[in-house]
Amino acid sequence: MTAVPLKPRSESRAKPSRVRLQKGEASSAIAVHALLIVFAIVAILPILVVVMNSFKTTMGIFGAPFAVPGADTFNLDGYKNVFTRGNFAANYLNSIIVTVATIVATIVLATAAAWALVEYKVRISPLLTGFFILGIMLPIRLGTVPIIKMMVATHLIDTLLALVLVYTAMQLPLAIALMMTYFRSVPGELKEAARMDGASEFQVLGIALPLVRPGLAAVASITMLPVWNDLWFPLILAPSKANQTVTLGVQQFVGQFQSDYPALLAALTLGALPLIVLFTVFSRQFIQGLSAGYGK
Amino acid sequence: MIRTGTRYRLLALFVLPALLVYVGFSVYPLLSSVALSFFDTADGGSVFTGFGNYVYLFTDPYVSERFWNALRNSVLFFGIHLVVELPIGLLMAALLTSNSIRRSRGVYRTLLFIPATLSVVIVGFLWRLIINPLWGLISFPLLGDPSTALPTISLMSVWQYIGIPMIFLFTALIAIPDDILEASRIDGARAWSTFWQIKFPLILPQFGLISILTYIWTFNGFDIVYALNGSAPGPNYSTDILGTMFYRTFFGSSGQVADTDLGATIASVVFFIILVTTAAYFVVLQRRLKTYEL
Amino acid sequence: MRSKLAPLAALTVAAVGLALAGCSTGGGSGDGADVTTITFGNWRVEDASLWEENVIPAFEKAHPDIKVTYQPTGTDDYNAAIQSQIESGTGPDVMMCRPFDVNRAWIKDGYFDDLSGLDGIDGFTDTALAAWQGDDGDPYCVPIASVLAGFYYNKAIFSELGLKVPTTMAEFTDVLKAIKDDGKYTPLALGSADGWQLSYNVLDSLGPNYWQGEDGRLGLIDGTKKLTDPEFVDAFQAVSDLKSYMPDGFESLTYEDQMQLFTLGKAAIMPDGSWDVTAASATGLDVGIFAPPVQKAGDQRYLQEMPDQGVGLNADSKNKDAAKVFLSWLASSDFQSIYVDKVPGFFSMGSEPVEYTNALAQEFADLKTDALLTPRLQLDRLSAGTPPLDDDTWAVLQTVLNDGVSAEDATTTLQTNLDSWYTPAS
Repeated sequence: MTAVPLKPRSESRAKPSRVRLQKGEASSAIAVHALLIVFAIVAILPILVVVMNSFKTTMGIFGAPFAVPGADTFNLDGYKNVFTRGNFAANYLNSIIVTVATIVATIVLATAAAWALVEYKVRISPLLTGFFILGIMLPIRLGTVPIIKMMVATHLIDTLLALVLVYTAMQLPLAIALMMTYFRSVPGELKEAARMDGASEFQVLGIALPLVRPGLAAVASITMLPVWNDLWFPLILAPSKANQTVTLGVQQFVGQFQSDYPALLAALTLGALPLIVLFTVFSRQFIQGLSAGYGK
Repeated sequence: MIRTGTRYRLLALFVLPALLVYVGFSVYPLLSSVALSFFDTADGGSVFTGFGNYVYLFTDPYVSERFWNALRNSVLFFGIHLVVELPIGLLMAALLTSNSIRRSRGVYRTLLFIPATLSVVIVGFLWRLIINPLWGLISFPLLGDPSTALPTISLMSVWQYIGIPMIFLFTALIAIPDDILEASRIDGARAWSTFWQIKFPLILPQFGLISILTYIWTFNGFDIVYALNGSAPGPNYSTDILGTMFYRTFFGSSGQVADTDLGATIASVVFFIILVTTAAYFVVLQRRLKTYEL
Repeated sequence: MRSKLAPLAALTVAAVGLALAGCSTGGGSGDGADVTTITFGNWRVEDASLWEENVIPAFEKAHPDIKVTYQPTGTDDYNAAIQSQIESGTGPDVMMCRPFDVNRAWIKDGYFDDLSGLDGIDGFTDTALAAWQGDDGDPYCVPIASVLAGFYYNKAIFSELGLKVPTTMAEFTDVLKAIKDDGKYTPLALGSADGWQLSYNVLDSLGPNYWQGEDGRLGLIDGTKKLTDPEFVDAFQAVSDLKSYMPDGFESLTYEDQMQLFTLGKAAIMPDGSWDVTAASATGLDVGIFAPPVQKAGDQRYLQEMPDQGVGLNADSKNKDAAKVFLSWLASSDFQSIYVDKVPGFFSMGSEPVEYTNALAQEFADLKTDALLTPRLQLDRLSAGTPPLDDDTWAVLQTVLNDGVSAEDATTTLQTNLDSWYTPAS
């Protein structure tokens, strides 16, 4: 697909040539910071509005939506309602299981397929590659009814496994396309040297894998978001209370408490929080992965 | 070199698991739904009609008007992503690679990406609150005016997803080998011209790829419009995109009888449009981008 | 080191996850030997706790061998979910039926069992059953509840401004004007972002007084009347005239926004359905209800009564005997009195009189006295094709309020679109 071989360098590697900041660099640093701060505010402030209002009374929310909760507007009823009525612990667990399992399945299958498509060139390789890439364009929602029929036939309906299978199928094309760009940039000498030493093809792949770590991180990130946030397939394939995911739980809760704004905002906050925390905690490794060098 | 026969066997071994899952849970269900577009299901029976549904979609005055309207809106939806999300995402990525902010790079990156982790339920809700004419920041009814409703929704979507092109382009930018950049630094090239003359051409293939992905994602778009305006998105269908039209037709609504055949027809046409455009892109453009290959 | 362990940890979690998923496959069916569990699919997410805590326990007490699972899906996704589930054989045992055209399509597709002969179904009048009859005239769903539409008003604002509840359109306009001139409150809590409620709570509420309820509605169906006739144009004009009393920026105000506006005491009057009696009085406001005003004093009064929820039996259900016991119970006055008491704002469709403990629900019920009842204009027959009159009306009403399209042009558009597919059944 893409052309430029990615030859990432280590982000954190200290530059030998690094000298003290010069005058021009200092002023450009201020400009860069200023711009990024503006972007960050635009990105974060709206979310803080929701979080903040979840701690207020209805009167407080609509009287002054952008004010910080004060003595007369502070109120935790929303959270109380969510914890007594909602089913958040179970919902979180379901979402985490589905998301992690999908990420692992996608990475394993996509890595193997991408490796083979890059490595074992035969006449049908380009055709197969194209066939996978077509999948990026497919609106999988259209296939809903046949998907349910299959899940019923295999007794997978209303299980988390059904979700994992559909999501993996949905995410594979993009994951394969991405992994292929990373595998293409693995130096050929490395693989040939391994083969000369009598390594099996699995071992050669094992040698190449550390070099495509950034790709694995990229696939994980791109897989995680749509899976965690999907509403449709949880509703259709695993709707029972025991299998509800967070996004579905929040949506049902929103439906049930349409006019109870504190509860609603509390539910929205709790629905969003885990992924934000997860992302914040892991983003270092995550993007270091994306940008880390070839086995450096 | 591995022998051809062995290569076939290895290819099969490694590709087959992915192929089975992909065909079983994506390709096959979609194909069997697409097949519906060649049938007319009425009163319990199902009759093969060839391209009858397609003819109906493009000739019926009401249905075709809805379709062209949704197509126009999808083009606009994509256009706004193209001219707002990608340039700003590129700017963010470029700023993040700046050496002068090394220490705080991680913090910015995380903050800027957070909206992409939210579900549309939250995104729709929080922006509705912020731009609500009664208690929000803007008294103009942005979502109520047909000329501003779709641009407003598009910008909400841009706000949410801008982190994706940002990260994508960021990783491409930092992947540029040091020696190239060192060379240009010795030349005394300024940051601005270094970026446009050296860095940008090098990441052009990635920029092209994220553009075409954005195109595919926006043409398959559905969630944000549905979350904000339901399946008959108003005012007067001014925010109806192909995804919502498909959903409404395929599944019906509280007061509208589902027409699965026509729904499948719409989805097939959309797929065809995306396929042709994407193929054209790869044949015409991506090939030229390869001239910059290292 | 960490990076080497990470995939391992992830794999373990995934393996545990898959194992858990596998376990849950077998669940659900393994209850006690003589207890049958049936699922009840519906779109009333809002009423989940009312059903689960009040209504279903009453049934289970009387029928200890049957358990009922309340399975709600938001109303926007309900049709899609039910159709997907039924088509693939995973539908709930009993499920709520949409009124009129959608349900007719579902009956045709074989979703339901015919309920002729079900215990208790004879207790309903033909009018009550009409919304869920098949083309064969048989009943397919047990009528559960109807809803009414009217105007909520803030009593404190009315007494502060010395206003009287209007009974004619002229008085209605005077009241709105007085509130607007006073300037302290928004006269009408009404936004046009949600097209459906312009249609259901405004046009179909004020309108029947213009088109004379069933006369006009059935006239459209049998083709003796057109939407371009003066009585319909006048009704659209009446909606259009409300525009100057709506809040600033009404074009993007949603149904939820207007409820907030009203319950926070910032608006005097709100057109809405009876299902919102709990929400409208939730903040402790002193709220009253008045009927859609008539054109001239002394005119016959009409009121929208919409069959809202029926419950049908999934033709593929594996627990039909238990499901029928539940359906019969839903048809009994035992159920009806519990239901209207615990889920206020919905009205029994049975023939036996029931009492309403909720004061606002009683006020709504009182509006029926002396009024001729009629369902919403668009849903019977006229929404079975493309474009459905229902959706079309939503969009056209938005253009009337937002873009100033005239009542004449609006009704002409609707009639033209309707003529493109509908042939009156004479």
